[in-house]
Amino acid sequence: MSRQLLEYHSVIGYRFIPGLKARVEHEAGGYLVRTNGAGFRCDREFLPARGPSRRALLFGDSYTAGDGVSNGKRYGDLLETMVPNLEVYNFGLSGSGTDQQYLAYREFARGIERDLVIIAVFVENIMRVNARYRFFRNENNEEVLYEKPYFSLGAEGLTLHGVPPERRPLREMDLPPDARSRIDAGGRFASLRLLARRLGIKDLAQRITRYNPVVEYNRPDDPRWLLMRALLAEWIREIGGPVLVVPVPLYQFIEGTSDPSCYQARFAELARDTGCHLHDPLPDLKAYPKEERRAFRFARDVHYTPAGHRALAASLAPAVQSILDAAGS
Amino acid sequence: MSTTILGISSFYHDSAAALVRDGEIVAAAQEERFSRKKHDPRFPRHAINYCLEEAFIEADELDAIVFYDNPLLTWDRVVKNCVMAGEPAFEQFEKAAASILGIKLWVQDYARRTLGCLGRSGRVLFTDHHFAHAASAFYPSPFREAAILTLDGVGEWDTTAIGRGDDDGIELAQVIEYPHSLGLLYSAFTYFCGFKVNSGEYKLMGLAPYGRPVYERIIRDNLIDLKDDGSFRLNMEYFGYLDSFRMTNERFDALFGGPPRQPESRITRREMDLAMSVQAVLEDAVLRLARHARRESGAPNLVMAGGVALNCVANGKLLREGIFDHIWIQPASGDAGGALGAALMAAHGYFGSPRRMSPGGRDTLKGSYLGPAYSSAEVRAFLERHGYPYERIEDPDGRARTVAQALADGKVTGFLSGRMEFGPRALGARSIIGDPRSETMQSTMNLKIKYRESFRPFAPSCLAENAAEYFDLDVESPYMLLVAPVREERCIPFDREAFYNNEDMLQIINQARSDLPAITHVDFSARVQTVHPDDHPDYYRLIRAFREITGFGVIINTSFNVRGEPIVCSPADAYRCFMRTEMDLLVLEDCLLWKSNQPAFAEAGDWRKDYELD
Repeated sequence: MSRQLLEYHSVIGYRFIPGLKARVEHEAGGYLVRTNGAGFRCDREFLPARGPSRRALLFGDSYTAGDGVSNGKRYGDLLETMVPNLEVYNFGLSGSGTDQQYLAYREFARGIERDLVIIAVFVENIMRVNARYRFFRNENNEEVLYEKPYFSLGAEGLTLHGVPPERRPLREMDLPPDARSRIDAGGRFASLRLLARRLGIKDLAQRITRYNPVVEYNRPDDPRWLLMRALLAEWIREIGGPVLVVPVPLYQFIEGTSDPSCYQARFAELARDTGCHLHDPLPDLKAYPKEERRAFRFARDVHYTPAGHRALAASLAPAVQSILDAAGS
Repeated sequence: MSTTILGISSFYHDSAAALVRDGEIVAAAQEERFSRKKHDPRFPRHAINYCLEEAFIEADELDAIVFYDNPLLTWDRVVKNCVMAGEPAFEQFEKAAASILGIKLWVQDYARRTLGCLGRSGRVLFTDHHFAHAASAFYPSPFREAAILTLDGVGEWDTTAIGRGDDDGIELAQVIEYPHSLGLLYSAFTYFCGFKVNSGEYKLMGLAPYGRPVYERIIRDNLIDLKDDGSFRLNMEYFGYLDSFRMTNERFDALFGGPPRQPESRITRREMDLAMSVQAVLEDAVLRLARHARRESGAPNLVMAGGVALNCVANGKLLREGIFDHIWIQPASGDAGGALGAALMAAHGYFGSPRRMSPGGRDTLKGSYLGPAYSSAEVRAFLERHGYPYERIEDPDGRARTVAQALADGKVTGFLSGRMEFGPRALGARSIIGDPRSETMQSTMNLKIKYRESFRPFAPSCLAENAAEYFDLDVESPYMLLVAPVREERCIPFDREAFYNNEDMLQIINQARSDLPAITHVDFSARVQTVHPDDHPDYYRLIRAFREITGFGVIINTSFNVRGEPIVCSPADAYRCFMRTEMDLLVLEDCLLWKSNQPAFAEAGDWRKDYELD
């Protein structure tokens, strides 16, 4: 039993409880969580004015917030040690979609001076962007369903819905049938995945079937990708300065059981059309020996281990350095 | 170089963890508070998690992990006990062997699995059980030199130990070995009177003042041979714990006129008199041991630990007897405190960390507020998430006045404030509080709030500087470990003999015994907590506000739980307990919740079945 980590937020849905110091029990022993006064898992307080350091704002989900690892061991923190004179403001929010990360930017980061905004898109986030509800595990290890804010894409562009979201947990059985189809269960074939995991054959089954966890990227005109793309494009446009988009790969891609080409193509198209920087860390991560790549995730938890974070940071650091140097900051 | 040590106790009852850094006590907590299983004996993974959280360190930064007991010595006792007792003990041996060989010898594996590593040393250290108790008592005490007395059921071979502490060192000079045990003697009567062993001992102590010591002579003549120096031997012909799973046997039954009382059945005059009788014997034994310890050690101060040291009636007698100039008792005296003792033992005895003394002459236990705290932001996050209505009063004085007025108006209040207590007593951080002036408050709080036996007394918390106005007590009692008489001029005499001639306890419970009836026990005593502003400013402020409103600087303080439930830890635990009982007000840090404003609280199933009655 760990502490409650998240609190309700009327626009984003939730954020970390400000000023928190916690240790979360975990299969690897446990990890330390510290949040700042703004309610993000960052050792730094967010100051509007930049000091002598170069500053990057980092957005993402649990892979960026660092589920499974202590604050100092996350790739965002490691970047600070690898890129000279860099401070990283980590806005990572566990369980969030890119839509909520965009809202976090609008709510908390717009007025903060920076040299670079890094949008780390865990490629599975596309499902969350297309969902209106999501299951979470609370501090009592119970699965609870919450409403989330979401965008729709129409002729007029993006429209925000579900704000403020319902603050209390919902019951799936109480939702109308069409709403139930908008629940993000954390991937495709939830029941089959559960069964395969219980039988201990999940990895094997995925390898044999060449399981593609994110079919939403298969076609450039898939409406789910179009929504994701519109979101990212609007966000990038709104930022106005240097933006680095980083597709954070699922383990299936790192370990070579799934073909990443579709999502890679979509993000390449996005970068081409918006003019943002793109860094795909997958080739660097795949360059590690097989055993090391397996050690990038925990035995059961699929989040990155400290080794995974180190590898991701090592891949990212030259790209970040290069953008900052080019900007002359 | 900084040294950080994690102490662990587990696998018997009341598992716990404690963390000590450079000799300073950083954190300590019992596993039951997190797992919500009373007296949880399992490996304390949640408590360990909390300790690392409080210190905010990674497991690989621990210099040592120390276990409070030596499993090999315990194994030695189990084997020899079986050999001595012969065939009847085989079944007991099987169970004990499975426990020790199956679990206790694998402490290292449990620790590795829980922490992910074994710290810098790569292994688990072990202390002896009574050394851990002794360390838990001596090192945090305010004394540079002290006699040490540890008393419990059994730890490895020993049940009683006498020694001496000097500066950074501890020495245990004399021990009494199993099966001769004051703790087990008391537990035998606890069992015989229908209460649960290892948790019902408090009830037996609370029951004692209702009785007369009519069985004392029988106990002395048949069960215990008590020498002048406090050493003793039990007559094992009357006890079952050597060769069975019962504490007593048929001969014991015959000695006291029949079989044990069935749990939850009516308490009769026999149980009341038995409770008083064994209490009298225990007190005599403790006094004799203390006198012997004084003679042997030559020290002017005494420190105590071990489960028997939680007998606050005996402690009060010991204090008033004046054998020592000062006494200090570890509030987590049971096995939970062994985790702290093990960590302190390693800090000072193994790593050589210098002992820290409080410059003010007080102890270094920080009021025993060593558990987790929850910030106002965390409380509000919990309340907002569930939509529970609350009022926030940020000004501490204004908040204290509001709560004090509610108490004065007869409202029973759940109070969660600051770091949770370590040890079995609630000391104002996780307490249910009320107005002690009410004649019916004792039975109301017992029956409608705590859902426990109506005879059980409540304890008072008072401002440290005002204690002598209410009690014959001239020392601090911050841990509620001393029973003191209520001042004579406050007491209202009643006909005790009439009570002794019938068995209706309620008759006396609802009878005013002083101008503080709810905290005055039937023998005009009270288990006092003196509150010092340095230990818990908010609690101190509340009592002071109550004094300003009512003229009485005393409130009722009982643990924040219902019968069979561990004391609450988190805001969620507190809210749940609040809604399950007839409490009127809940204070969660700076947020106040009135029962009348709360939405209906629906739970699946009967929560009473979640808790095994103690």
